[in-house]
Amino acid sequence: MTAARQLHPVPAVALVGAVLGIGSYLVAVTRAGVTARVAGQRLGLAAITVAPLRRARRLLGQQVTTTERPDSATWVLAPAAYAGLAALALSVVPLGPGTAVADVDTGIVVFGAAEVLAVVAFYLHGWSPNSPLALAAGYRHVAAALSYALLSMFVLIAAALPAQSLGIGAIVDSQAGLWNVLRQPLGLPLLLVVALGVTASGPLDLLDGTDLAGGGGAEDSGVQRLAWEGARAVMLVAFAAGAAAVFLGGWHGPLLPGWAWMALKTAAVAGLLVVVQVQGARVSAERFVAVSWTVLLPLAFLDLLAAGVVAL
Amino acid sequence: MSSGAAADVAFVAFALVAVAAGYRVFRTDSMVRATFLLLASFLAVGAILVLLAAEYLGTALLFMMTVEMVVMALFMVMFMMNPAGLNPMAMVHQPRLAAGAGVAAGVALAGVAVVADFPDAPVAGSAGAVAALGAELLGPSMLVFESAGITLLATMVCAVVLSASRGRYGPTHDGSVAPPLDPGGDHRPTDDLVEPGGGGHGHHGSHS
Amino acid sequence: MTLATVLVAAAALVGIGLWGALGQQSFVMLLMGIELMVNGIILAAGGLWAFAAGGVPTGQVLVIVAMLVMAVEMAVGFALVVAVYRARGADTTEGIGSLRG
Repeated sequence: MTAARQLHPVPAVALVGAVLGIGSYLVAVTRAGVTARVAGQRLGLAAITVAPLRRARRLLGQQVTTTERPDSATWVLAPAAYAGLAALALSVVPLGPGTAVADVDTGIVVFGAAEVLAVVAFYLHGWSPNSPLALAAGYRHVAAALSYALLSMFVLIAAALPAQSLGIGAIVDSQAGLWNVLRQPLGLPLLLVVALGVTASGPLDLLDGTDLAGGGGAEDSGVQRLAWEGARAVMLVAFAAGAAAVFLGGWHGPLLPGWAWMALKTAAVAGLLVVVQVQGARVSAERFVAVSWTVLLPLAFLDLLAAGVVAL
Repeated sequence: MSSGAAADVAFVAFALVAVAAGYRVFRTDSMVRATFLLLASFLAVGAILVLLAAEYLGTALLFMMTVEMVVMALFMVMFMMNPAGLNPMAMVHQPRLAAGAGVAAGVALAGVAVVADFPDAPVAGSAGAVAALGAELLGPSMLVFESAGITLLATMVCAVVLSASRGRYGPTHDGSVAPPLDPGGDHRPTDDLVEPGGGGHGHHGSHS
Repeated sequence: MTLATVLVAAAALVGIGLWGALGQQSFVMLLMGIELMVNGIILAAGGLWAFAAGGVPTGQVLVIVAMLVMAVEMAVGFALVVAVYRARGADTTEGIGSLRG
């Protein structure tokens, strides 16, 4: 049983901030590049690295409009809570051997809890503007979120079984011989479905979907919009890091130092997610809920059962 | 269990948040805010449990209560007439009895807490608490664990039976009939409601 | 952070929950009052486990049972709220008077 290994608070906060900041910028650049490629535009590397910064500068200068009688406190709370939860999820993931902000004994549960608390942020994001399309988008995404939350719990617990511990550091240690993606093949695809839902993008782009004129973000403008989009990118980075640690062996790997492998694996997962986000067509909420409860959840049970049998 | 000044300050802060948020739940006008204030109260209690070296219980409480409160927010908006609190509203009955009972219960229990002589056996530390809980649940307390599973299954069946669209009291579109003008009487006629089953009134006979 | 302070906080939560459960007319608010009371019980059980029971694992099982009770009560409570609304059209306690004698 690993005891909690903790960094000193100040470098810990700086580390999490740096990882999330750089990571979200790279995610934005990748998304700009993939979108341009899919749209058939010929943009050079310089153009796509500058594009997110340009958009950020434009949004910062934009006037913030508001609606009639919004719930202002929760409207501001939603992106702040969402980004804070991403930071919480990243803080229990070991970014290198022995380098976790707080590698607690129940790291997997904290990771899952951060992702489930994000549902509260989604609900508030849809509810606060006091606007019908935002509310509809928030509700349909909450329906999908309640379905994938269960999926994630089973998949993460199955990954914790070979490690005999709920701490993510111990789970990484247990993959020294064989990565969980090979040991539990159903786990990573299901977790990627969950990742799409947690970042509300790709086939599960139900929260800010353009089919509802921007959904929860329909009434967002200026700093508000930048904050929410930034929070989504930050959550993508945190979740990709968690998926890399739990299924792709974390910092294990030959030749390069631990943190380099972790960065590479996180980038691979995040890149895959960005491609699916841009290319994936939106699935309707009813269809996703039906598929999730009738197909994906039994697959998650199978995954847990197989992991349990192997652990016995 | 964490000890020292930092833990004490954190405990006092979380306790104040839990109690104040719990109080504000019943004082706020906005129903959605009331739900998430209740969630804040639960999160504070979960944090206190983590401070008390019950790590798994604290985080599991966080996990569970979040989803419960989101579902409760959905029900709030469904059933409350003023979910956003745009108008001031207080739907209370027997207010003085309720306040008296609440104060009496709180004071009595607090009195017991302060006066009673509890044994002094502090928990050693949080390392191993999760493993001990797991071994306990799947060992001596296996009966509790199994009955919990069956209870939850029965609850799921019960909830679906009570609220499914082919409900016990008839199809649900009949349930959206307006309540009777006098208690126990027949429902008002449904001419102005759309009848998917085609023609005629959809009322069932008198209720028991 | 002593046992007395933890239990006083728990007592406050139980008191506030009882006030809400007895005083609120709406079903959903009543359920929230009951949830607060079970919240107080969970805190008290956790405190007693940490200070007076020496960390014996059965104490944690008690807290888990309390969380289970909360989940069951909420699920069945909301199903009943829906069923009562469909049968009687009532969403407050004043709206159903069938037990009144």
